[in-house]
Amino acid sequence: MTTAVAARTAVAARARQVTKAYGSGETRVLALDNVDVDIARGQFTAIMGPSGSGKSTLMHCLAGLDTVTAGRIWIDETEITGLKDKKLTQLRRDRVGFIFQAFNLLPTLNALENITLPMDIAGRRPDREWLDRVVGTVGLADRLKHRPSQLSGGQQQRVAVARALASRPEIIFGDEPTGNLDSRAGAEVLGFLRRSVDELGQTIVMVTHDPVAAGYADRVLYLADGRIVDEMWNPTSEQVLDRMKSFDARGRVA
Amino acid sequence: MTVLKTSMRNFFSHKGRMALSAVAVVLSVAFVCGTLVFSDTMTTTFDRLFKATASDVRVSPEAADNDDGDWGRKPQPTLPAADLARVEKVDGVKAADGEVANDAITVADADNDNLGSSTGAPTIGTNWDPLELESVEITSGHEPRGPTEVVIDADAADKHDVRIGDKIRTIADPGSFSSEVVGIATFKITNPGATIVYFDTATAQEKLLGKPDVYSSINLTAAPGVSHEALKANVQKAAADFGGDPLKVQTKDEVVEENKDDLGSFMDVMKYAMLGFAGIAVLVGIFLIVNTFSMLVAQRTRELGLLRAIGSSRRQVNRSVLVEALLLGVIGSVLGVGAGIGIAVGLMKLMGAVGMELNTADLTVNAATPVVGIVLGVVVTVLAAWLPARRAGKVSPMAALREAGTPGDRKAGVVRTVLGLLLTVAGGGLLFLTTRVDEASDGAMYLAGGVLLSLLGFIVFAPVLAGLLVRALAAGVLRVFGPVGRMAERNALRNPRRTGATASALMIGLALVACLSVVGSSMVASATEELDKSVGADFIIQSDMGMPIVPEVAEVLDDAPHMAHVTHYKALGADVTLPDGKTEKDYSLTAANKTYAQDLRSETVQGKLTDAYKKNSMSVGEDFAKDHGLKIGDTLAVDFEDGGRAELTLRAITSSETTLDSGAAYLSLATAKDYIEPGDMPHNEIMFGKAKEGQEEAAYASLKKAMDPYPQYEVRDQTDFKQTLKDQVGQMLNLVNGLLALAIIVAVLGVVNTLALSVIERTREIGLVRAIGLSRRQLRRMIRLESVVIALFGALLGLGLGLAWGTAAQQLLALEGLKVLDIPWPTIGVVFAGSAVVGLFAALVPAFRAGRMNVLNAIATE
Repeated sequence: MTTAVAARTAVAARARQVTKAYGSGETRVLALDNVDVDIARGQFTAIMGPSGSGKSTLMHCLAGLDTVTAGRIWIDETEITGLKDKKLTQLRRDRVGFIFQAFNLLPTLNALENITLPMDIAGRRPDREWLDRVVGTVGLADRLKHRPSQLSGGQQQRVAVARALASRPEIIFGDEPTGNLDSRAGAEVLGFLRRSVDELGQTIVMVTHDPVAAGYADRVLYLADGRIVDEMWNPTSEQVLDRMKSFDARGRVA
Repeated sequence: MTVLKTSMRNFFSHKGRMALSAVAVVLSVAFVCGTLVFSDTMTTTFDRLFKATASDVRVSPEAADNDDGDWGRKPQPTLPAADLARVEKVDGVKAADGEVANDAITVADADNDNLGSSTGAPTIGTNWDPLELESVEITSGHEPRGPTEVVIDADAADKHDVRIGDKIRTIADPGSFSSEVVGIATFKITNPGATIVYFDTATAQEKLLGKPDVYSSINLTAAPGVSHEALKANVQKAAADFGGDPLKVQTKDEVVEENKDDLGSFMDVMKYAMLGFAGIAVLVGIFLIVNTFSMLVAQRTRELGLLRAIGSSRRQVNRSVLVEALLLGVIGSVLGVGAGIGIAVGLMKLMGAVGMELNTADLTVNAATPVVGIVLGVVVTVLAAWLPARRAGKVSPMAALREAGTPGDRKAGVVRTVLGLLLTVAGGGLLFLTTRVDEASDGAMYLAGGVLLSLLGFIVFAPVLAGLLVRALAAGVLRVFGPVGRMAERNALRNPRRTGATASALMIGLALVACLSVVGSSMVASATEELDKSVGADFIIQSDMGMPIVPEVAEVLDDAPHMAHVTHYKALGADVTLPDGKTEKDYSLTAANKTYAQDLRSETVQGKLTDAYKKNSMSVGEDFAKDHGLKIGDTLAVDFEDGGRAELTLRAITSSETTLDSGAAYLSLATAKDYIEPGDMPHNEIMFGKAKEGQEEAAYASLKKAMDPYPQYEVRDQTDFKQTLKDQVGQMLNLVNGLLALAIIVAVLGVVNTLALSVIERTREIGLVRAIGLSRRQLRRMIRLESVVIALFGALLGLGLGLAWGTAAQQLLALEGLKVLDIPWPTIGVVFAGSAVVGLFAALVPAFRAGRMNVLNAIATE
């Protein structure tokens, strides 16, 4: 694994001078304002910030779900800004994994079918051994034939995590993946994400406003008003909380 | 008030989702109103025509009753010219004009092309008299003067490119003759399609009626201040002293009424047939509306729960949905009434293209039309929304708090399964009984009941069948498309009730198509088999308009070369008194040469058919013999209409199991001639011929050539005849399928509707699969495949049902001679494959819209 990582760049995704604006003229709102960011490979990055700070927009742009107004974004060595829908779709399918806050699964497919869906769509055979390992890791082996409606919220999110991991994407994006879960189920899911970074060498970017969730990350980026205003390495949830309090205080003063 | 306000808001905020339901209402109402407007317009047109062509009072021979059965079969009754002179002197008569008219003629141009209408409208030859000026004016040339001149109506002249100076030939009862066109008469009102030629009175009398100084009728104009009724009474009083044949005296209104009655039954049949097809479309539209409201209610479950939670009563929630339906019904119906007038105009243009001229100036919209249309549209819409509205009322306040939509109602599933099975089994049982009856009349009841129950059963049962059949279809069709196919299959299966209702709508139309095509092709197959088995004639000569064969043509055929024999075939009316003392009035007998026994080898159950052609002998059909307990050797007293009374011996009883001449009673032409004067003998209905051995081709060619100048008659050998039969059945099926197309279009709209609403409902899922890498193309394919599988499911149900109906109908009709069951597999296959295409087509717009959805918006939808 080390050799594989060493052969490639240490940066999984890059954004340079990324601006995202909504509306025009008087009503123009900047969601992202000249953002530069590097997402390190094999790390767990959390993006934090208050509502409206642009954290979700940044993630959507990095993941190729949203277009930028200006600036350039790369995933690995591929520039995704300017790619046509077809290429973008392929990129998301083959190289990116997603975990959303809710509604991650197709209700008509069972857990296993949901997990293998991206590979099925691509017409690739899932790597049996890897799949078993992923399923084992998230502890779903006995639930594979269940439909989403027969699973608890925590189990559903674990299926989503398994799906994101199963196709071995270069990078996984999570949009508040534990936002809908109680603290125990949330801790479980975050634990899996952490282990997938440590044990499987996965790169993960997660948007959250929960300091506890951010505490699982290697690095936390703070966004405010569309700009990266701070970052923190190897944080604990207490440190994250303190930092956020200080932002809130500054915000109030401002 | 608040209920109304929320309903209005909901209605307008979801107007896109209602659009296709509205289209279904518009189409159904439009077709109903279109039919009404069209038939009312036809009535107006004919009314105006009849009014313009009728005089104040008409005097005609009593014998000239307007019974179409006698049309052209014998020389028509006339009035002597003396009657004209006498009527002229009656009190209150301002003018009396003798009318000569013959509507059983054919007019041909120099190329022997028939100048008559192809729609069944008559060709009329008449004398140029003052009454004509009420309806036409001569727009070029001059009126007919002298024996060689003729005026033709402008519509016919235009259609067939006839100009002044052209020679045209008139084939009438007394013989055919040529005339030169000297004028063109243009109608001042709408002439729906009759071809009319005008001669001077003397020529018309001699050439059309065959006698000088006779008239068909007398047209009277009332003196000023004399009412039509008073004039009629005067004429009737005077006529009592005329002696001679009794006269019929009618006022203008009575003549118009009589003409309308003649036409009325035909127009009613057409009107009710079209309304029937509109009714099927309405039925299909109901499915679409039910689906729409079910989906709207399902999508709004949380909202409805909230309304309940904050204190709305069930009734209020229920009513809010019904008010929306009411709005939809009103808007759809009003648009439908407007569109209906458009459809009527379209139909008129269509009729114009096939030769029936109708003028938009006569367009008639009766007050009843919009009323019927709007009531129908509103009632149907509100009824269709009834169940979904009830379901809306049942939404619990808890639903506001729950995440997902309404859970499925398990119990309803069981009830549905049991009820569906019961209905289907009962329907199937009745259909089976249909095939076992001995009397066609009993079977018809079973068939009708079986069709109805099995249809209802399938409609109720369709959601249950969906699970089974969609899976089977998916295994055959969708699996090759991999995960996209699998997702399409699961989507089609996720709401069986919706899929079932959508497919049922398609099923109804296709079941009728399949049923009728089975009956139609069985008809052709049975008749072909019977032709092969029992028809010995090489050639059949007849008019496709049902026109009898004029004597001149019969003679030409008798003289044709290369023929072994030529058979004359006449229908004779008679009152037949049977050994049991009963008398059958107006019984129809068939008089033919004895060679007819070779031309049509009818099977007998008793006696020999050839014996029936011996002197003073006859045969009857099996059913007639059974009804009256007749046996060979019995004597029947036959009192011929227009002839003497004969005592005929029964020599043969023919089998009723035949489609050709079923139930006919035969006697020889020689016998008939003994009792009927040559002048009273009806013309041949049809003629048959057999070529001399080995000269078939020469005979065929010479017959064709001999009939060239008589375009109203067709000469057919057996191959031609079978082809004609096939063509006729094919045309009839095309017409019916054309009318069923409306119901199928509404059903296809239903598929579009279901898909479009499903796409909206699944916005988040679509966003999700797009985010994790489903390409636009794959997404579109997924929706198309779902559509195809729903359409194929509907086709499977419809074709299955239709085949069962068609087979049961054929088995029943076997009693009437439809013995061969012929299932047109190629047609069935084409319909099935066509359904897949229809499915693809229905998915075009929903798939396009799904493909255009913004991934981010889709996953952001709360």
